[in-house]
Amino acid sequence: MSLPKPVMRGLLAKRLRFHLPIAFTLAITAAIAFKYTVTEPRKKAYADFYKQYDAVKEFNAMREAGIFESVRPSGE
Amino acid sequence: MAHPSQLGFQDAASPVMEELLHFHDHTLMIVFLISTLVLYIIVAMVTTKLTNKFILDSQEIEIIWTLLPAMILILIALPSLRILYLMDEINDPHLTIKAMGHQWYWSYEYTDYEDLGFDSYMVPTQDLTPGQFRLLETDHRMVIPVDSPIRVLVSADDVLHSWAVPSLGIKMDAVPGRLNQTAFITSRPGVFYGQCSEICGANHSFMPIVVEAVPLEHFENWSSLMLEDA
Repeated sequence: MSLPKPVMRGLLAKRLRFHLPIAFTLAITAAIAFKYTVTEPRKKAYADFYKQYDAVKEFNAMREAGIFESVRPSGE
Repeated sequence: MAHPSQLGFQDAASPVMEELLHFHDHTLMIVFLISTLVLYIIVAMVTTKLTNKFILDSQEIEIIWTLLPAMILILIALPSLRILYLMDEINDPHLTIKAMGHQWYWSYEYTDYEDLGFDSYMVPTQDLTPGQFRLLETDHRMVIPVDSPIRVLVSADDVLHSWAVPSLGIKMDAVPGRLNQTAFITSRPGVFYGQCSEICGANHSFMPIVVEAVPLEHFENWSSLMLEDA
């Protein structure tokens, strides 16, 4: 009884055919994950911040906190 | 301003800095894509005993690893050039301020209407009041009207300095004998900090920049008071 002849050629090519699609898929997944966990939330955060931003109210709050040099709190 | 254990940029306080933030996110996403691909391939290559010693050429892979990087570079270049041209747009400034670098302080000149000029020295650590920031506060701040385009002409009196405010997305070298121009607009009122960004001697780390953006009427009151005091 003889053993079947083992595969002796194309082993590296077979390994590449297995791993390269996984590599590209992982890379694109990493990019998409970064886009939707960092890039898009940051854009939305800035858009939301300025949508409701009341510059006068924020300025007055900062003024009363005394952080400006050019304008003192209204009590002073 | 910066805060402890900060990893990314400071919060943007000008439209240009916001654009730069988003561009950085876009480019970093591409960096992570390439790094993940390369790291996976490296691990796959070092964990095998299989080799092919007789490869001479391969048109297919050469085409792929030429075209793919070219496309990636175009994906980076297009938003980059967009921001570059955005920063260069004619912006018709409402105010021009001269920032002069000295060893080791900045001086600001507001000469559009009257002759207002003052020096801006760092507040020494022992003179700080509670709530002030070490190595960042100055005795006189560069006060500007919020939401107005400002032109800053940067130069130096002695050696090279650099006028930088990260949250506004500005850095401009101060070169003796040369006038460099930059422009910005602050999206919101507040106080924005920066530091000298070109080595200029012993106290290079101790000549900070503070920009204070306030509504126009308060800016006008401040400039009148400064003129009276001068």
